[in-house]
Amino acid sequence: MSGDPTYSVTFNENNQEFIIAGKLRPQNASDIKPLEAALAKALVGVRGTFYLNVKRLARINNVAFRVIAGLMAQMVEKRADLKIEVVTSSVLGWSTRKFLPLAQRIPNIEVVEYDKEFYPGQSFLEEGGFIPILRNQTRMTWRHERNLLPRHGLTPGASIADICCGIGDFAVLAHKEFKPSRLLALDHSRTSLDYARKVAAEFGVTDIEYVYGDAAELMIDDNSFDFVTCRHSLQVFDRPELILRELYRICKPGGRVYITNEKNSHCLGEPRGESIQWTYTEVAKLWAHFNMDIEFGPKSGRYMMDAGFEDIRIDTFMVTNRDGDPQDFADMIQAWENVYAGQMARDRGDTAEYIAKFRQGFQDHIHAALNPKGYAGWPIWAASGRKPS
Amino acid sequence: MSGMKPLLEVSMGIDAFSSAWVHCDRISSYVARMVSHNRADPLLYANLLSSALNELLEIAFAHHGPDGDISCRVSRSGASDIIELSLPCDDAALGFYTGAAEQLKRADLAEAYQSALFSPGAGDPHLGLLEIAVDYKARISILPEGGNRVRVAATVELEGAVS
Repeated sequence: MSGDPTYSVTFNENNQEFIIAGKLRPQNASDIKPLEAALAKALVGVRGTFYLNVKRLARINNVAFRVIAGLMAQMVEKRADLKIEVVTSSVLGWSTRKFLPLAQRIPNIEVVEYDKEFYPGQSFLEEGGFIPILRNQTRMTWRHERNLLPRHGLTPGASIADICCGIGDFAVLAHKEFKPSRLLALDHSRTSLDYARKVAAEFGVTDIEYVYGDAAELMIDDNSFDFVTCRHSLQVFDRPELILRELYRICKPGGRVYITNEKNSHCLGEPRGESIQWTYTEVAKLWAHFNMDIEFGPKSGRYMMDAGFEDIRIDTFMVTNRDGDPQDFADMIQAWENVYAGQMARDRGDTAEYIAKFRQGFQDHIHAALNPKGYAGWPIWAASGRKPS
Repeated sequence: MSGMKPLLEVSMGIDAFSSAWVHCDRISSYVARMVSHNRADPLLYANLLSSALNELLEIAFAHHGPDGDISCRVSRSGASDIIELSLPCDDAALGFYTGAAEQLKRADLAEAYQSALFSPGAGDPHLGLLEIAVDYKARISILPEGGNRVRVAATVELEGAVS
């Protein structure tokens, strides 16, 4: 390939991981001699399992595939002790099926599709009946966010990417309110995306691009969007800095990234405040057990600074039973209880006695929400930062 | 093809096209991105379409006649997209495309693809077409056009091709 290489190669000796990223469409095998030499050198020096990471290799042609496959086949044939794991991404579409025939042909080569490992909470969110929770939550937070978003830099006609869009209802609301020039909504759950497309179709919205993707490895060009949102999601990942790095990358210089997160232990209610507080402090511990940080909210500013943002703005708002129909608030708490004190607590191995006490706090929160004299709150941190021009 | 609605056509002189290999990548990336925006998952769709189209363009780059234009057209009917390449053809190129059309009639296409993918040496020149037929489940037709041109058409259904 002439000119600048369209691909990059990194070898991490500690992990024995060889990473190829970018685009690999050479005319001749000789065009990628440097890659071939680097791969050969890496393969010779490893012991045990060698990882070929092609998660961010957006394109490959047969010329390049044959060079890589041929070299790997030759190496495992020579060395019975060597195993090769090809790490592909489900996002790209082509990579798993392109490399699978290689694994089927050669016993010591395996293909592993990088997917759920990174998303500790995804199975709970997908299988735990979270869709009703998410719809309710967005309805309640939107009352606050529609007024906050302009303060965080969202203007009509901006191009927006909503990363980790979930069931896409925020995207539909933002589309209606801010009439963006482009709106891409991305999530890693096909169930949620199917639902999002259905909702958009019901509302006659046809120009939201719902895209399946991995928030930590976005297949979106650098500097693509004026405003990038990622709501209630950094708290679900065990490595939020990787997501922030990607949000930063796809944001245009001068554009802004907007994130919202919670600090669940600060959920509150009266009456029965003590029981409520105990349960939500336990919720934070439960999430931590599954490598998720539901206490992320107040840490937003620090993470954004570390990611390189400037002009960081932080707001806190409290969703309460007084915002709209108290029953909506109560339904949300009930859904939380079903998942947290249900599958999650069971998976952690909690005792029946503990679970009963744990559930009581949620029921007390519902009582506070529905009690005409009561007050129930759920605090949210909204933060945004500007990508330097 | 009846019922197919044309979406986009890119046309350029074959000399200009074959002057730089990067044209295959640029045209396939551009066309795929343009026609994928209203598919259910535009990025995934564009990825797959670009891969298939790039292989076709790389074949056209290597096998074509000397004079005239190459055109690349994408048309759509529901879930199906048809990619059509029309290009000038001399005797050598016609021989290649005739051979390719014969290859695609084989009953053991999947085996032929696997064998071509891992064959030693320079590689099977029909590998790209075999891949599109097997891996992308494309229906491919290769027909001479007016004596000195050839038309290669691949009909693909890529929506939902990955789950």
